[in-house]
Amino acid sequence: MSNYRYWLGGGMVLAALALVPTSGSAYTTTLLFTMLISYALAQSWDWVGGEAGYINLAHFAFYGIGAYAFCLSLLNNVPIPLCFAIAVAVTSTVAFVVSFPLFRLSGDYFAFATLAILPLTELLAFNFDFTGGADGVVLPPNYVLFEAYYIAIGLVGLTAIATVWLIRTRFGYALKAIRNDEEAAEISGIRIFPAKSKVLILSAGFASVAGALQGWQLSYIDPTTVFGLDVALVPIAMALLGGSGLLWGAVVGVIILSLFNQLLIVSLPILQTAIFGLLLLLIGRYMPGGLLRSAVVRGNRWTGFLGREHDRFVTATAGAPDTGDLPLPKIAVAPGTPVLECRNLTMAFGGNVAVDNVSLTINAGEIVGLVGTNGSGKTTLFNCISKVFEQKSGEIVFLGHDLAGARRDEASKLGIGRTYQIPRPFSDLTVAENIAMPLMNRGDASATLADSLGLATQFAAYVGLTDRLTDRADSLNLQQKKALELARALACRPRLLLVDEVASGLTPVEVRTFVNHIRELRDDYGITIIWVEHIFSALAQVVDRVIVLEQGSIIADGPLDTVVRDERVLSTYLGSAAPLGSAAPGDAGC
Amino acid sequence: MDASIIIQIALGGILIGGLYALVAFGLSLIYGVARILNFSHGTLLAVGGVAASGIFAATAWNPLLIMLLLVPVLAVFGYVFYDKLLQPLTKRNHFEYTVGSVLVTVGALLILSDVAAWIAGPAPRNIPLRFDAIEIGNVILSTTQAWILGGIVVFTIALHFYIRKSWFGRAMRAVTQDHAGATICGVKADRVHALTFAFGSGIVGIAAVLYAMLFPVDPYIGFSLTVKAFTIIILGGIGNLIGALMAGIFLGLAEGFTSFFWATQWAPAISIVLLLVILVIFPQGFGRRKTT
Repeated sequence: MSNYRYWLGGGMVLAALALVPTSGSAYTTTLLFTMLISYALAQSWDWVGGEAGYINLAHFAFYGIGAYAFCLSLLNNVPIPLCFAIAVAVTSTVAFVVSFPLFRLSGDYFAFATLAILPLTELLAFNFDFTGGADGVVLPPNYVLFEAYYIAIGLVGLTAIATVWLIRTRFGYALKAIRNDEEAAEISGIRIFPAKSKVLILSAGFASVAGALQGWQLSYIDPTTVFGLDVALVPIAMALLGGSGLLWGAVVGVIILSLFNQLLIVSLPILQTAIFGLLLLLIGRYMPGGLLRSAVVRGNRWTGFLGREHDRFVTATAGAPDTGDLPLPKIAVAPGTPVLECRNLTMAFGGNVAVDNVSLTINAGEIVGLVGTNGSGKTTLFNCISKVFEQKSGEIVFLGHDLAGARRDEASKLGIGRTYQIPRPFSDLTVAENIAMPLMNRGDASATLADSLGLATQFAAYVGLTDRLTDRADSLNLQQKKALELARALACRPRLLLVDEVASGLTPVEVRTFVNHIRELRDDYGITIIWVEHIFSALAQVVDRVIVLEQGSIIADGPLDTVVRDERVLSTYLGSAAPLGSAAPGDAGC
Repeated sequence: MDASIIIQIALGGILIGGLYALVAFGLSLIYGVARILNFSHGTLLAVGGVAASGIFAATAWNPLLIMLLLVPVLAVFGYVFYDKLLQPLTKRNHFEYTVGSVLVTVGALLILSDVAAWIAGPAPRNIPLRFDAIEIGNVILSTTQAWILGGIVVFTIALHFYIRKSWFGRAMRAVTQDHAGATICGVKADRVHALTFAFGSGIVGIAAVLYAMLFPVDPYIGFSLTVKAFTIIILGGIGNLIGALMAGIFLGLAEGFTSFFWATQWAPAISIVLLLVILVIFPQGFGRRKTT
């Protein structure tokens, strides 16, 4: 796919639009102006909604704030370019401030809160004196349609560029990871709050310019036209009608809905709002996924390109020849030096102490099995080490760094990789993208998107997912998802790998392959490994020692042979009636 | 300042708060069971209130009779609305389900209010029923208000016990807590969803008549009521009716005193600011684990 064709095509469309005011009627120009504004609004909503997955019902508030800031500045004889700058600055500041409380929320609660912001801004505009109350702001009469129109073309050009940029950059991928699973995104090295805050500010900035232009062109704004609920959801409906998260989604949605709206105004004197409501309702009922994702559009050879998902726009750098090696540094192991030290680590949920005063040391190059009955605190210990939970008390020292108060992405970047017992892939991204996510978020600028996707193929080959590279993660079966978990954890370039029950549910042959992988990772790449597993026969093949947890405390620590004959361990697993020296637990199990 | 004025304002606040709570009950049950933000919920009250006052103007029936007429109509509407428009969305992924239900319910809001304004006109109207005034010192309470106040309290308690004790109430609570678990135990979850919508919408019918007896209603007041109802369920706990009544009365009092001591035009901001503050302090929802 050639880049320049897109630039040429986009440039030609914008140039054609630029010719309209000189040849077309004022009516056409006004209609096109409205469509340009709508596109900027719908598309900028979709950066937060479609990319980051946050349904921001207050997007129109940013439009309104921009309109008010612009018009009030203009009324005070501020030069016009400065008026735009003020509009953007004020709105971005508001977006920055509200991002702190808003992004504490997620899902429905985020939608709740953003919806409440809209009537609040309307009320503020009504009640304050400087906003002109219910009368709104009236600018001196001035015919600026052409000027506003040309600036709108520029705005649309920038919006399109920003959209393409989001599709093809690491920042855009960070948002896609956030949309799918915030915790997994953090584990993959993404700092989520700044990313969310940034995209909200970006989206608010574009909305504010759209609002400023509209206010300038109409030379009049009042609270209802810029904050009213019926108008506020229009851009959202446009983005959804086309297809949220698709490059062409907002474009198609805007064209269809604007023309429909125009038809409505011209042909129907009454019930316009009701008909429009009906349209929203039908879009919501029949195509919340978007028109462009329907089989009719995708199956057609002429329109098929409109429905392409984001992953079709990125190309991977050709990978190194497949030698079966992993693109990981080969760390020289210095035996006997501690990689991880936990001292008096305690984690409690309310009164339930899940990890109770645990102290342990894991040395470089060790493979340690972590066993214990269900609920004994194994996964909670992993969660503390990978900073999913902040420990209640005690210390975790990893390669000399005290992890107290560290964020999850920091732990990941320091070299702690982990898998989840119940796989948490980024469901709507491809296998390659899942694996590339930690690779591109290492914090060094050189890890480009294309390179990361190229490297991802080698990780996929290592865990046996080569033929599923371009499939979405949610189409994998459980074993493949577990393989993907391992690949993604390895892509974090870990010094310490926390493996949580990857082998359960595998066939004996698959278990053997997996055990070989674990051994290789230590022998060839110097990765230290803690492996939580119930299958003792699998552990027996590879671990140097096992640690046994019971009710949050360590009850045994040593070579597997010794531990399985330990009286306390036996009583935990088999009950106290088990005679000493009987069969080790797990021998019969597999 | 005269204490009787304070009492008078407090009575007004409790009354309107009780009505808010009635609106919130339905929304609370619906959100708890179906996890749908029904933005058209308050609009049902607006449209129901307009219809009730229209019927009263034409026939002069007893408001209780109008209520008996309105409740089943709204309940059937709620059932069909969920069954035909929202239930099919449950088969979609989470994002599409959420945005789809937002668009469907907002679309319904716009249709309902616009059609009502077209038929009945946008002007505010009410049920102008004359009752005797009860004077206690300087505090004046009309018998209407007294009846409504008593009615709200009795209704809340009855509803509370209905939801605790009846089969349908148990089914609703089961589905609220664990959809899949309830289905395994033989509860037809889809049907419970639709019935909850019917039930919640029916309650709005009661609130609509009471509201129109006290305050003017127009087709466009619905959305601000929905926001208030959201505030109440976040404050009182989802599915917690007694909590919702308390929260509703608190909100009514806060609005009443804001109007009196500060400025009338800022009273509508109370619920919104309260909603935002509670959400920010308790991102997981206030009193979330409490259920009736």
